[in-house]
Order: sequence, then structure tokens, then C-alpha cells
Amino acid sequence: MVTPMDASLLEVKGVSKTFDGVVRALDDVSIAVRQNEIVGVVGENGAGKSTLMKILVGVYSPDKGELYYRGGKVPFPKNPKEAAERGISIVYQEKGVIPSLEVYQFLLLGHEDKYVKFSRLQIDKMKKHAREILEELHVKCDVENFMYELPLSTQKMVEIARAILSVRLEHGDEDITSIIILDEPTAPLTIEGRRELFSDILDMKKNASFIFVSHIIPEVMEFTDRVHVLRDGKLVANYDLSKEKITEEDLFRAIVGRESSEYIYKPEDKRVVSEEVVLTVKNLTKNGCYYDISFDLHKGECIGIFGPAGSGKSEIIKTIAGLISFEGGNLIIRGQKVKADELPHFRLGRGIGYFSGEIGKELFLNWPITKNISIVNMEKILRKPIPVISFNTERKMAERIVKRLRIRAPSVNTDCYSLSGGSKQKVSVGKWLERNPDILLLEDPTIGIDVGAREDIYETALEMKKSGISMVLVSDDPKEYSMLCDKIMFIKDGRIQKVLSPEEFGEVMAA
Amino acid sequence: MTRLLLSREWLRRNITTVGPMVAAIAIIAGFQAINPRFLSYHGIVALVNNMSIYLIAACGLTFVIMTGSFDFSVVSMLRLAALLCALYIDKLGLLVIPLVLLISVGFGFINGLFVAKFNVPSFMATLGVSFAVDGVGLYLVGRRLFIMGGERAETFMALATTRIAGLPSVFYWAMGIWIISTFIALYTPFGRRTYALGGNPIGAGLSGINVERHRIYVFMLSGFLTGLAGVLFMAWQGGGSMEIGKNMPVPLFASVVAGGTALTGGVGGPHRTLLGVMIITWSEVGMMMLALPSYVIMVFFGLIAIGMSIATIDRRRIKIIK
Amino acid sequence: MKILGRNKLITPVIIQTLKTHPLIIALIAFVVMFSVLIPARFLTPLNFSSILRLFVTYTLFALGPTIVVVIGSLDLSYVGIWMLGGVLLWLLMPILGMLSILVYPLLGLATGLLIGVIQVKAKIPSFILTLSLLVTFAGLAAWLAGGVPRPVREYEFITAPLIPRLPTAFLWSIPIIIAAVFMMKRTRIGTYLYAIGSNEEGAGLAGINVDKYKILAFTLSGLFTGIGLIVLFQHLGGSAPVELKLGNLVWPLAAIVLGGTPLVGGSGGPQRTILGALTLAVATQGLYLMILLPEVVALLLGLLLVAAIVIGTRGLKGVTIT
Repeated sequence: MVTPMDASLLEVKGVSKTFDGVVRALDDVSIAVRQNEIVGVVGENGAGKSTLMKILVGVYSPDKGELYYRGGKVPFPKNPKEAAERGISIVYQEKGVIPSLEVYQFLLLGHEDKYVKFSRLQIDKMKKHAREILEELHVKCDVENFMYELPLSTQKMVEIARAILSVRLEHGDEDITSIIILDEPTAPLTIEGRRELFSDILDMKKNASFIFVSHIIPEVMEFTDRVHVLRDGKLVANYDLSKEKITEEDLFRAIVGRESSEYIYKPEDKRVVSEEVVLTVKNLTKNGCYYDISFDLHKGECIGIFGPAGSGKSEIIKTIAGLISFEGGNLIIRGQKVKADELPHFRLGRGIGYFSGEIGKELFLNWPITKNISIVNMEKILRKPIPVISFNTERKMAERIVKRLRIRAPSVNTDCYSLSGGSKQKVSVGKWLERNPDILLLEDPTIGIDVGAREDIYETALEMKKSGISMVLVSDDPKEYSMLCDKIMFIKDGRIQKVLSPEEFGEVMAA
Repeated sequence: MTRLLLSREWLRRNITTVGPMVAAIAIIAGFQAINPRFLSYHGIVALVNNMSIYLIAACGLTFVIMTGSFDFSVVSMLRLAALLCALYIDKLGLLVIPLVLLISVGFGFINGLFVAKFNVPSFMATLGVSFAVDGVGLYLVGRRLFIMGGERAETFMALATTRIAGLPSVFYWAMGIWIISTFIALYTPFGRRTYALGGNPIGAGLSGINVERHRIYVFMLSGFLTGLAGVLFMAWQGGGSMEIGKNMPVPLFASVVAGGTALTGGVGGPHRTLLGVMIITWSEVGMMMLALPSYVIMVFFGLIAIGMSIATIDRRRIKIIK
Repeated sequence: MKILGRNKLITPVIIQTLKTHPLIIALIAFVVMFSVLIPARFLTPLNFSSILRLFVTYTLFALGPTIVVVIGSLDLSYVGIWMLGGVLLWLLMPILGMLSILVYPLLGLATGLLIGVIQVKAKIPSFILTLSLLVTFAGLAAWLAGGVPRPVREYEFITAPLIPRLPTAFLWSIPIIIAAVFMMKRTRIGTYLYAIGSNEEGAGLAGINVDKYKILAFTLSGLFTGIGLIVLFQHLGGSAPVELKLGNLVWPLAAIVLGGTPLVGGSGGPQRTILGALTLAVATQGLYLMILLPEVVALLLGLLLVAAIVIGTRGLKGVTIT
């Protein structure tokens, strides 16, 4: 006999899912959720967390697997409505909110059939029910506000209330324990917003169970009761945080799957850093993102900004790149103060290049390799005396880069659409290599790329560093920091906590 | 080898290049078969006459569409430019030409300002400007019909009507402008930036292109070419009224799109537009020779416009299509 | 006291309405301005009647397309439905007699359905699709009519005067307006359409069948236009034109934009459109009475429109609009 406390509310066993016969997103994964608990599902990008959740909620159907509800086998839901009948609903990471709707409209979206009389909506009744649930869940807002008027954390709370309400309305039974899936709920929130969200969720624990999907380790450690770790589509660990003593590093290792020895700093080449300062960041502040950030970047130096997701590292590097404006402090590039709201194209003129792992943002996918490389190197491919494009020079330039970076492509005239992820990244890196900016900002440079391409990119980055290019690195991969950086700033909650040397960093990671 | 060439995959990817060429050949062959006088000397002169002005205006429009915008003011600007020439040729002589071109560039600048700086959707902004331009035109010209006469007018008209090797000079103007437009698009940084802007505006900014400023430049270039088209129109026709270009908007737009320049921006170019203009204007001539009423021709162009727009839209880039 | 279902005092409600509908201020300003400047011509029963006539024209054309704008798309087919429907009416009159007027709602319904299905399934941008459809319908209408407008006299009773000084068409338009507003604001369909316009992806994730409702939006647009045309046909002279004039197309769109329904959708709606239509009618009449030159009036209205767009899109900085 299984005691009620141990009984699983929901259990999936042996779920597998393959897309297009090639990409194996999930391979024999099993997770369980108990009554009134918060279960974490963690993993890197691409580990399979999203796919698993979409299966639970009826958006995808699994190739293999079984679903059990309160011990009894049930079929997988075929659409979100069926899932809600079963008691499962989801709060998406982004794009879940409909800004122009009023709170009560959004709360009850999809369930209007219960409020329709002769094709007319009973708005008073809708507002009344909306007020009731918001009060029950301690969400402070007016049901007549528009969603866009609410602060982001309140919007998230309304989304959660909606998820709970969906289950109640579809199932028709007020007593049912909802299982609410929270997909990276804290991504759009500020630090304060996160605190509020978590205290509210803990309040709600008596009414529902939660599946907390995330890759932010500290949050998972603090708020979940049990944690499932996914890596490359497989379940690699299952920890009970109330019973076992697990550290953040344990979790980290399970997620990333690498041996700790790889973090020990190995001095590859002599790191040449000159005295000359190329970039000064002084008391840089942006409310809600980062505060009082100060550091100097020297010529030939690579500084890493390391921290959990949402720590502000991404915003800082984007600010230097010109994609985000800052509110306080100063940004001084090669001795010149920069205006807070200067447009990105001016940064190039100042000698700053920005390279993001988000492929497609800066790459022109319908262009061939040649054009992608030349677009930031226009001056080099113009003829003299009349400045027209020399296709010959352009082609030669591209061929040089392709050879140097070992880019796998049929020819330099191939459109970038058809290249593999790693090759696309190399083309992006290549154009900056050719451009030779003074400062290169790298954000997630090797995300989603195979090992071979990764090594090539590191090699190139080190070469560029040796030739005097300064770099700032933001990434989720500690190995990159160890390999490339001379100094690593550890950031949490928008503030610099400490500055580590690569050796110190390696020790911290290995511990 | 042929099997490879005609494989489905290759065809799908290159339909926008191959399609227009095949269509052009089919049209010529078709009309020639129906009416053997299609390719006679007179026939060719008719084809060339019709084509020239369209080509110049279409080149301007092509640049705008390459950046992903629309320009509804082309016909109005062309009309105004033509009429201004007729109005002031006597007072100002040939000086009227640079003046008119300057005004056209000015209107182009206004278009660009609205779209780039004020974020007004291009079809609305250019529509509004077209009203303004028509307003000016109606004010200056009213319902009058102009016929150019006088010594200065003669000189002016000679620009377009002088016969060289049997074809009117306006044709050579058109070809020259087309060559220069193509050159700009394919061989200059300006052209490259235009493609970048249309293909990926964010990426363009990150690559150091001043997106706002470049958009304005493109509209100004379009204005210049449109003005030029208007000047040559008046030189060639020798007269006109506010009725000029009444039937132009649809065929003009169709020519750019029929050539393979996509509305999503970033692909195509003036070199393609030549083909599009040929298809459209020659179809027009052919259909007139068959004595088909003008509205049927309009329907035909409308359908071509839809068809080519659909075929060239890069669906890979836009996820949600409204 | 209870106003519109909310327990609030009357003054704050008025202030709130003015804040969210700043166009009312412009409307009042126009009325005051014209009353002061040209009282003899503006403040007459005849002018009042003329304003209402214009209002009816703009509104009945714009109500249907408003629904489509709410989901973020555009529907430019209304003029085409008017033209083609008018010719079909003329053709069917000898066969079906008075029942022939039903051709309008049926044509509207069919057209809307066709557009909706093509837009959703073939993923063609609505702007091009409906524009092309418009051109095609215009061409078809001209062809079927033999190139000449065909008047139909049997429906003159629809606009026969009932109340002195009040255009009967206005009375007919009231139930149509109420139906449109009711549908958008008080039914499930309305809520879903706003949701799709506001965040199409999110609406899908929330379980709404986006494809179905988008098709429904276009169908309803055509249906409302068709029903409105039962009145509008006679209101506009009892004979649909066979020439496509841009002016007919633009002003209803202007009413929508002026009214405050953003072109990206998600908010606004028919209640805003009627405000826009009224303001536009007042402005048009007043300016015309003051200036008497239709081209200058068009110019000024064009400027007004662009100004409204610029002010309206201030809140959308950062959104790349082409």
C-alpha cells in the first residue's frame, strides 16, 4: 500500500520523441510529480525540457511512453484542452501573454463557452469569477486593467492563475490538484520580480503541484523539492533535495556532464596583455538589469562576465554593443565617452564588433558566404580609383577565411541557409576576423555547435587575442571562460561579486 | 546533366529567375504566332516605345521594394515632373530639368523621412505624399491639356525623339539608366547596403549600416529616377494633363515583381526588372494588337502581380504572415 | 451610477473616454473651427445632411475591413465587391427581380471566405492578396458591364427620404453599426479576434484555433461589407463604377486609421471607426466648403491622415515597419 504522501500524482514513463526521424529530442525519459510539491526539470538548451513539457500538455505526441495519473494509466492528451481536463496546464516562457486583453478576458480565454448566453458574453459573471480566483491566489490587480498595464511579475502571476483556472474549469471539479508547468518563468523578470514570484508560488503550493523548468541552478536549488536532470534527451539524475545533500556544483555537473578536471586552468599560451586601456566601463547602471558595473579592458585582454541566467551579463554585453541603452554611469570607448542611446551601427565605427550565437540575427542567411564576410569589410574589396566592388577580391577574401577556419561548404558562393550551425557560426566569426576590430564582444559564441567547430572557433579567438584584439565574453559554458579569458568577473543579481583569475575560476568550478 | 538541371529541387529554388525568362520567351513566341507583325519593324518600335518610360520608373521602384517598402507615389511624381516641364519649359528652358529632378528628390526625401524616422508604414506614407503631389499638380495645372510648342520645347523634345539607328533616343536613355541602376545595385557598396537592409534590417544595423539614413537615400534615389522618367515622358509625348499615368500603377508594380524582385526585400534588383518590364509592356502591346479591352489587360496584370508576389516571398523568414 | 456595466461616477468616465479617444477632441475642434469661420455655410441643415451622407459612405465601407485590421491584416477588397456586385445586380435584375440585391451579401460572404482561406492556407500577405483581388474584380466588372456604368433604378426606395433633413441611409446604417460593435465587444468571436491581433502566437498557445478565426474574420468582413452595400449601392447613386479610382479605396481606410484602430491590430474596433468616419466627414465637408477645390481638400486630408499615423505610431518605436 502506498501512503498518500508518497503517491505520485502524475508519472511519465519511458517517453521518447524523435523529430523528422533525425533529431532525437527525448530518449526513454521518466519523471514523477507528487501531490503539493514543486518538481524541477533542468538541463541545458536543447536537453529536451521543452519537448517533454509540450508532450505533457498535448502539443506534441510521444513516439513511445506511458502516462499515469494517480496510479492509473491514461492516454496522453491530444491538445491543451484535454490536458487541462486531465489537470495539466502550462505557463510558457514567452509569448504567453496577450497584451491588449483585459485581465478578466485573458484569465478566461478559451473558456468563454461557460459564460455564453445566446451568443452574448456574460461579462459581469466573468469579472466576478476572475476577481475570485485572483483574490484566492493573492494576485493584486484590477480585473479591468489591460494586461500590458501590469508589471511583468504580476503578468506572470496572472498567467499562473490562468493555468490553475483552466484546469478547474475544464475538469469541472474544484477539488482537483492542478499540475502547473512553469517554463523558465523568471526569464523576463527583474530581481525583485523573481522574489515576489517565488513567494507567491510557495503560497500556492497548497493548491497545486508545479513542474519548474529552468536552467538557473540557484533558483532550482532554492525552490524545488525534487529535481530531474535532462541531458541530450536522457534523464541523467534524479535528486530529492529534501533528503539528499546536493550542492549547486553537483547539479551543475549533472547538467553539463563534464569532468571537473576540465575546469582546471591549463596555461595554453603566454597571455600577452598590454597596458593600454581600450574600453572603460564606469558605474554602468540600468535599473532592473545591472548596477554599478565597472571594469577596464586592456588591449589584447579577454574579460569574461560569468553568472547565472538573468544575472545581467547578457544585458551588459548588449549595452556595450549598442543594442541596449544604459541609464547611469559611463561607457568610454578608446578614450571617447559614448552616449547612452547611440544606435548600434555607430559602434562599428568605434571599433567594436558584436557577435552573438543567435544565428540569423546578424548573418544574412539568403546571401552567400562571400557577401556575408564582405558586408563589414566593404573598404577592402573596393577597386581603385573608382570605388566599385571587385568580385574577385571579395571571393579571394572569403576563400582565405574559409580555409583558415576550415568552414565546411561546397563553395564560397553557397548560400548560408544551407550551411550547418557550426559553419554558420564560423562565417560570422570569419567576418570579424577579417574586420579586425579593436574590441570584439562575444555572446554565446559556440551555442549549439559540434565539438570540432567549437575547437576551431576557440583557436581563432586565441589568435585574434594574440594579435591585439580585446574581447569580452558572455557564455553559459565555463570551459570557454577558462580557455579564453584573462580575467573573469562573477556577476549575480546585476552586481559584480568578485573578479577571478582563470586559475581561481578553475578551482571554483572543480570544487 | 539535363536531368540534374530539371530536378524539382533546383526548379523550386530557381523559379524566380527562370520563371520570368521562360515567360518572356513564351509571350514573344505566343504573340508572334498570333500576329506575325508582332516582331516587325513597327512592332518592335511600338514595344520599345512603351517600354522605355516604364523601365526608368520601374528601376526607381525596384530600389524601394528591395528595401522591403512600397512606393505608391511614383506615378504621381512622374506626372508632376512631366507637367512641370511642360509648364516652365518656355520660361526656364532646359534649366527646368535639374529643377524638376531636385523637386522629385525632395519628395523622395519626404517619403523616406516618414518611413524611416517616423515609422509610418510605407504604403500609407507614400499614399499620403501622392495626394500632396497630386494636390500640387491639380493646383498648377487643373484640367488643362498641354501641348508643347515653341523653340525651347523643340529642343527639349529632341532629347527623347531623336532617331538613332531607327529607335528613338528615349530608348537609349532608358537602357543607359537601366545599366547604371544595375551597376549601382550589384557593384557598389550603396547597392550592397540596400540588399542588406531589405534582407535583414537588424543584421544590417549590426553590420554598421545606418539603417535610417540609407532608407532615406533609397527613397531619394527612387524620386530622382521617377523624376527623370517624368521628364523624358514629356519630352517624348510632347504633351499631357493630369490624366497622365492613369493606368500605370498596376503594370508598374507588376513589372518590378514579375522580374523577380521580392516584396520581402533583399532579393532581385534592377537587372531583373528589365525582364519584368519587357513581359508587362510587351504583353500590353500584344493584347492591344488583339484588340482586347483595357480592363481585361488590367485583370491580367493584377493576376501576374499576385502570382509573382506569392512566388517570390521568402517564407523562410517570416513566421507569422498577416 | 452604473455606466456600461461599471460602477463609476459620470465625470471620471468622460475624462477617461477623452483620454483614450483623443480624436473626440479633434472632432469637437473641427466643429467649433468651422462653425466660427464659415457659419453661414457650415451650420445649415443641408450641410448637416451632407456630413451624414459622407459618414454613411465611409462607415459602411469601413466596418467590415475594421474587423480584419483588428487581427492585424488588411482587407482592400470592398471597392471590388461594390463594383462587381453592381454589375452582377444589373445582370440579374431581369431574372431575379428585387431579390437580386441579395447578390451583395452573398458576393461579400463568398469573397471574404475565399480571401480568408487563401490567406491562411497559402500564407499570402493580406495586403497584396486583397489588392490583387480588388484589381481582378474591377477588371471583371468592367468586362461584364461592357466598359460602361450600368444603373439599376429599382432600389431607389431604399434612400427615399423618411425624416426631413436626415438621410435615410443613415437610419439603415444604425443597426449594422450596432451589430458590428456588439459582435466585437460582447461575443466570444470578438475577444478571440482581439487576442489574435494582439499576440497571434500566444493566442494559439492559449488554445484558440487561429486559422479558423482568421478565416472567420475575413468572411465577416466581406459579409458586413456586402450587407452595407445593400444600402450603399443606392446611396452612392445606384450604379457602380467600372473604373477603379484610388479615392474610393483610401477614405474608408483613413476612417479606420483615424479612428484609432492600430494597423497592427489587437485593439480598437468598429466603435473607433465610426468616430473616425464622423471626424473625417466633418473635416472633409468643412474644408470643402472653405476652399471649394477638391484637390486641395484631398491634400490637406492626406496630411491629416499622415499626422494621425505618426502620432498613433509614436508608441510603436522600435517596431520595424516597412
